[in-house]
Amino acid sequence: MSNFSFIEDTSWQCAGCRQPLQPTKVNVSYLNSVFNVELMTCPQCGMVLVPETLAMGKMLEVEQLLEDK
Amino acid sequence: MMDQSQLKEIEARCIQEEQPFCTAACPIHVDVRAFMAALAKGDIRGARRLLDRAMPFPDIVGRVCDQPCYSFCKRGEIGDPLSTGRLERYCVVNSQTVLKLPRFPAKKGRVVIVGGGLSGMTAALDLARKGRNTTLMTGKACIGGTLLDFDEKLLPKKALLQAETILADYGVILQTATALPTQFIVSLASDYDAVYVDLDEIEPGRLPTAAGRPDPHTLALGPEGCFAGGGAFPDTAAFSVIKQVEDGRRAALSIERYLDKVSLTAQREMEGVRTTRMHTVTSGIAPVAEIVPADPDAGYSDDEARREAGRCIHCECLECVKQCVYLREFKEYPKTLLRKIYNNQAIVQGTRSANKMINSCSLCTQCTMICPHDFPVADICRTSRQEMVRDKHMPPSAHEFALEDMQFSLSDFCTLSRHQPGSSTSRYLFYPGCQLAGSAPETVKNTYAFLRQQLPDGVGLLLSCCGIPAHWAGQDGLFAKTMANFKIEHEKLGKPTVITACSSCLALFKEFAGEIETISLWEVLDGLQLPTDRAAARKPEQPLTIHDPCTARHQQVMRSCVRNICTRLGLDIVEHDYNGELTDCCGYGGLMQVANPPLGKKAARVKAERSEHAGLAYCAMCRDNLAASGSPVAHLLDYIFPGQKDGDPLLRNNPGFSGRHENRARLKEEMLAELWGEAAGPGPDHARIQLIISREVAELLDSRHILDDDIRKVIFHAKQTGKHLINPHNNHHLASYKPVRVTYWVEYEPAAQGNVIHNAYSHRMQLPEELS
Repeated sequence: MSNFSFIEDTSWQCAGCRQPLQPTKVNVSYLNSVFNVELMTCPQCGMVLVPETLAMGKMLEVEQLLEDK
Repeated sequence: MMDQSQLKEIEARCIQEEQPFCTAACPIHVDVRAFMAALAKGDIRGARRLLDRAMPFPDIVGRVCDQPCYSFCKRGEIGDPLSTGRLERYCVVNSQTVLKLPRFPAKKGRVVIVGGGLSGMTAALDLARKGRNTTLMTGKACIGGTLLDFDEKLLPKKALLQAETILADYGVILQTATALPTQFIVSLASDYDAVYVDLDEIEPGRLPTAAGRPDPHTLALGPEGCFAGGGAFPDTAAFSVIKQVEDGRRAALSIERYLDKVSLTAQREMEGVRTTRMHTVTSGIAPVAEIVPADPDAGYSDDEARREAGRCIHCECLECVKQCVYLREFKEYPKTLLRKIYNNQAIVQGTRSANKMINSCSLCTQCTMICPHDFPVADICRTSRQEMVRDKHMPPSAHEFALEDMQFSLSDFCTLSRHQPGSSTSRYLFYPGCQLAGSAPETVKNTYAFLRQQLPDGVGLLLSCCGIPAHWAGQDGLFAKTMANFKIEHEKLGKPTVITACSSCLALFKEFAGEIETISLWEVLDGLQLPTDRAAARKPEQPLTIHDPCTARHQQVMRSCVRNICTRLGLDIVEHDYNGELTDCCGYGGLMQVANPPLGKKAARVKAERSEHAGLAYCAMCRDNLAASGSPVAHLLDYIFPGQKDGDPLLRNNPGFSGRHENRARLKEEMLAELWGEAAGPGPDHARIQLIISREVAELLDSRHILDDDIRKVIFHAKQTGKHLINPHNNHHLASYKPVRVTYWVEYEPAAQGNVIHNAYSHRMQLPEELS
C-alpha cells in the first residue's frame, strides 16, 4: 500500500486545534514494513484520521498479508 | 519439524488415497470407480478412455473380462455388487478407441513371444509399446489362443483380427502358422535376448524339463532370459481371461527389467491383485437391486447402463471429513492437510498460506477417534502452532485477543484464592474456571454455597484460568508459567482436592498436573443430595438433547455422572449420535472461533443441529456458543441452582466476549465482599467511563473483538489528553487509543447519562504518533 492515497472529504475536525483536516503524507508501519501513504491529518497537531473503510479494508488486508510473510 | 520419513509414516495413516476395493482386486487396476462415474452420466467416451489406458485390447478384454472385482464390490455388503463385466462390454460395444497409448523410442534387446494366446499378445503389445524389438510366433493361423474358441456372439473374430493390426501398428513382427517344436523353442533362447512362452498355446509339457516352473512373481524360468505364463490355472484347469492379461503384463515387466539388467524382484508388490486399506462405511446406504438387461443377448441399453453404473457408491473413506466442519471448510482430508502444513513450515521466504488453516482447527480430536488409523490432526496442528510461535512466524492477530482475555482472567481484577470463610484449611478447592465465571457468575456463587454446605472440612475457592488458551495457541512459555502458578497457589492452600466445573480445566490438570488430586464437579454433585428447592427453575416441557463438550471425550465417568444427575432432576434427556467419544466442538476449542470467527459460528451450528431438540450443555462455552447460534440451550447448573431472577434457562442470552470479561471482574469483587467482607482493590480509572450501547452495536463490537473495556480506555484517553476529532454537524466524537498492540477507534456522543457508542473499529498498523 506504499504510495497510496486515502484522502477524502471529511466532516471530522481536530477537536483540540479546531482545524479542518488536510491531506498529508505520513508513514504507517507494521511488522517491519513501512508504507508512505496520504491520509487526512490535523495540520497543527498532526492527529491522523483512519476512517473505518480503510481500517477494515485495505489496512486489514495488508496486515494479514504481512502476518503470513 | 518432522523429517520426510516421519511425514511419510503419518501420511500413510490416512487411507483416502488407497485404491477402492474393485481396482485393488483387478490385476490390471482398471479405475472402476471413475469408469462408473463416467457411465452414470452417459459419458461413454470418458469411460472408454479409462479402459484404453489400463487394458490391452479393450475390444477383446472389455467383452470377455471375468470381473474378479465383482466379489470385492462394497455394494455386495448391502445387496447386489456392480455388474462391472456387463458394463465394460456395453462400453466397448458402443465406442471406438479413444486413447492410443504412445510408442516409446526404440530400445535395445530382441524379444520373442512363443504362442499367440492373450498373455502372449499382451506381452508383445506392452514390450512393443516400450520400444523393444518384438516377434510373436504362433502355430495357429490367427492369434487368440483359447479366445478363438469363444462364441462369435460373445467375441467376434474381427476383434482378434483387429488385435493383429494393432500389434503390427506398434511394430510387432507377427509369424502365424509357424511350426513350434520343443527343440526350436529351445534354440530361440540363444537367438533372442529374451523369450516368453505363452502356456495357453504351448502346453507346459512341451517346455524342456530343465526349464522348471515359472516363478509366480516374475514368471522367470530356470534358464536366463526365459519366461512363461498364461494358460489355465494348473490346479483347477480353469481359464481366466484376466489372468492371461495379468501374466502377459507381468512377463513384459520382467523382460524389461531383465534387458535393463536390474532386479527382477525388487518392489513389485504393487503389481497384480493387491490388498487395499481403504475403509468405506456402507451403513446408511440404501440397497438398490442390480439392473438386469431386458434383452440379455443385446446387453445393456443406454438407460440400463446408466442406472447400473449409477449404483456405484464411489468407495472412499472421508469418514472424518464427513463429520468435521473444519476439514470440510478447508476442503482437505488429513493426508493433504498434513502435506500443506509440512510445506508451510518449510517456507523460508514467501507467503505461508496455510497459517489460517493451522490456526482454525479446534484440536478436538473427533477425527482421530473416527479414523481407523488414529490420524493425529490435532497434534499436528498444535505442534505446528508451537513451531510458529518459536520461530516467530505466528500471525499476531491469530490468538492475541484470546491470550489478552486469558491474561485478564489471570490478573488481580479477576483472580481470587481463599479458604472457605471462617476456615484456615481446605479439604477441597472449587475451581469454576474462567468461562463459567464469565458466562454465569450467579451460578458460580450458588454452586460454591452448596459445596460449602455439603462438603466437610472446608471448601476453598480459586477464581482463575487454567491456561488452556495458551496451550492451544502453542504458547508453551506462557502456558508453563500459568500451570506453575496454579501449582504454587494450590500448594499454598494446603493441596486440597480440586473440584473443576469445566471439562477443559480437568483434562488439562490431569495431563499437566497429574500429582494434584482433581475431580469433576459433576462427579461430586452426583454423590450429593441435590437441592430440592429447584422448583423456581422452569423445568422444560420438551425433552432436551445432551451435548457433551469435546474435552469430555475421554472422560467417561464425568459423562455418566452428568446423565445420572439429569435422571435425578427428572430431566427428559435424548441422546444423539455425535456425543460421547464422537462429540463435536462448539467452536471455542483450539481457539477456532478467535482465529476464524465465521468457522467458529459454523461449528456451533453443526453441533446444535445434531438434534432437533433444545439442548442441554454442561460446558459454559458450549452453552454460550450454541445459544449464540440461535438454539435454545441451557446449562445443567441452571436447573440445579436456579437464580432468583432468572428466566427460562433455555433462553438465556450469550453474554458475548465483553459480558464474560466484565462478569469475571464483578464476580471476584462481589464474592470477596459478600463472603470475606473485603473490598477489592480499586478498579482502573477508565472503568468509571459510562457507556450506552445498543444491541446492534454490541453485536458489531463482539464480532470485531472489541471489548467495552477497550472502548472505555479510548474515551478515557481522549478526555485526559483532549485529543480527538469532532463532527460539528452531529457533535459525534471520534477518538483512538492503542492500549497494547491494537489501535481502537470509537465514534461516540457524550450525553448526560453516559457516552452513546455509535461505532468502533480497530487496526494493527501503527500510525506516526504511535511510532515515536
